[in-house]
Amino acid sequence: MPVWNIIQAVNDALRIEMRRDPRVVILGEDVGKFGGVFRATTGLFDEFGGDRVFDTPLAEAGIIGSAIGMALYGLRPVPEIQFADFIYPAYDQIVNELAKFRYRSGGQYPVPVVIRTPYGGGIRGGHYHSQSPEAYFAHTPGLKVVIPSNPYDAKGLLLSSIRGEDPVIFMEPKRVYRAAKGEVPEGDYTVPLGKAKVVREGSQLTVLCYGAMVHTCVEAAQLAEKDGFDPEIIDLRTLLPLDTETVLESVRKTGRVVIAHEAPKTCGYGAELAAMIAEKALMSLEAPISRVAGFDTPFPYTLENEYMPSPDRVALAIKQTAQF
Amino acid sequence: MARLSYREALNQAMCEEMERDDSIFLMGEEVGHYQGAYKVSQGMLQKFGEKRVIDTPIAECGFVGVGIGAAMTGLRPIIELMTWNFSLVAIDQIVNNAAKIRLMSGGQFKMPVVFRGPGGAAGQLGAQHSQALEYMYANVPGLKVVMPSTPADAKGLLKMAIRDDDPVIFIEGERLYGVQGEVPDGDVVVPLGKADVKREGTDCTIVSWSKMLTVALEAAEVLAKENISVEVVDPRTIKPLDGETIYQSVRKTNRCVVVEEGHGFSNVGAEIVARVQRNCFDDLDAPIERVHRMEIPMPYAANLEAMITPDVPRIIAAVKRVMYLPESKPESKPQSKVE
Repeated sequence: MPVWNIIQAVNDALRIEMRRDPRVVILGEDVGKFGGVFRATTGLFDEFGGDRVFDTPLAEAGIIGSAIGMALYGLRPVPEIQFADFIYPAYDQIVNELAKFRYRSGGQYPVPVVIRTPYGGGIRGGHYHSQSPEAYFAHTPGLKVVIPSNPYDAKGLLLSSIRGEDPVIFMEPKRVYRAAKGEVPEGDYTVPLGKAKVVREGSQLTVLCYGAMVHTCVEAAQLAEKDGFDPEIIDLRTLLPLDTETVLESVRKTGRVVIAHEAPKTCGYGAELAAMIAEKALMSLEAPISRVAGFDTPFPYTLENEYMPSPDRVALAIKQTAQF
Repeated sequence: MARLSYREALNQAMCEEMERDDSIFLMGEEVGHYQGAYKVSQGMLQKFGEKRVIDTPIAECGFVGVGIGAAMTGLRPIIELMTWNFSLVAIDQIVNNAAKIRLMSGGQFKMPVVFRGPGGAAGQLGAQHSQALEYMYANVPGLKVVMPSTPADAKGLLKMAIRDDDPVIFIEGERLYGVQGEVPDGDVVVPLGKADVKREGTDCTIVSWSKMLTVALEAAEVLAKENISVEVVDPRTIKPLDGETIYQSVRKTNRCVVVEEGHGFSNVGAEIVARVQRNCFDDLDAPIERVHRMEIPMPYAANLEAMITPDVPRIIAAVKRVMYLPESKPESKPQSKVE
């Protein structure tokens, strides 16, 4: 089995699906000849041509609007928004059109659009190339929100997303695009949406995370382990629909929870996780749920390392919650 | 003290502030000659003239952007969005410019702009005109989010929002404009970030805001007849959230229900529950419940709209669940009548 990074896994998934299904098309800024600013669409223009892999102007509302129209006419577009920070101009198209079409048409028009977009900090990108806007999309009925943390999941989840009938916001953790490497099977396989994965078993405490933060939490667990702590780590993989069963099963076992994400804490996705657990498993809890998150400031350029939850910050929360 | 409607209270707040400070102006779709889509700006064009009450084209991204530029150069714009649903076309300006300029410029540029307009459902306006979007803005650092539920709060909070040097998302209740209430005369302000206990009680805390607060108060009234004493806390400002007032109430009642108009997943209630479980962990005698809009886009049909929207029976049922009381009535059934 080849060892690939997330970029290679995403590229392979796109190639497999485009070979299998002529309805799949890719559009976005620099995705064609150039192969994408992060190289995720490398080689696809050469193999499938300009009718199926094409460059667009810098006009995100146009990219997503066009993709919606193409999907309504039977194609399966996979638009790329170059950075999640640039998704806001297309926000109205996503929240008011894409998410609602199937419902508003009484089921007549499903909109199978998968929006791929790199998110998150850690690349010295400053305010406009570092944001994590997942929570807003998770609040919008009609969308699915998927965030892989590793190459295997990236490929399998992307294939599942493209084959689904509903719109998916597929957010890729750009900080670990190349750093997260792993064995990826060649050929076709899928990872189902809506299923979380236990990446480290433990008895004492449950750590909930997704995307690049999974790697931070694994490091934090190694730090905490040295001091005798035994956390369980769950990679959510799909934020909407959330795999509440896997989360609650773990919480009922451990009685303690730490949630980690890069996005600002207030009204971040961790709030939903904490609220859901407090509603459904309060009597299993032996300590208050702790959230380790980005701060409620715009993403800073110079203080990036202080802003993003570090292994030390997560490890501290693990220790404090375990000792509560 | 005068008896005013919510819409009149907002009008008074803007007029008084504009009389006080020449740098304030109002801009938006139909705010001038038409006197406001919801008549909030009634009479303002006549009073302040076309330079300070400005009609715009139907281009939210454009006039929100112009407002941001005006604020950077020393003015204090009030930008009216006909409804918050339409702000999604301008959300890039709000999230990426208004919310960030102060930090990006190292504090050199203040951003004293108020974006105001109605939010929430108003009866058979369908999926795209009924959204409660406070959650999205509350997740954006740099923004304040204010949601008054009474005419007095509407006036006092809007005055403070206009005087604030940061961008404020001011979401009015679309079904509250006609609500009457006592409003203090003259320059009485309500500070941002301060919750208000709208009804005192001892058995259970309900946290709710905007239109849903009025529904929660109705539920509290019904429950009082069954000898259940509910305390109703109105955060008034969603961000910054006055957690302390909510915690004090929960420490007294030991039970909490959050009622809001937004959808149930990843909502403002989630943030409140997350904070309450953290700060009142040993005070809680029952899991916290959230009552909210169901997880589908808003239907057009009146009976379905009523069914997915929180109502008195659903709030009562939630309060009884957290009090471990048997439910006396079935949960809300579809109604054909919509206000």
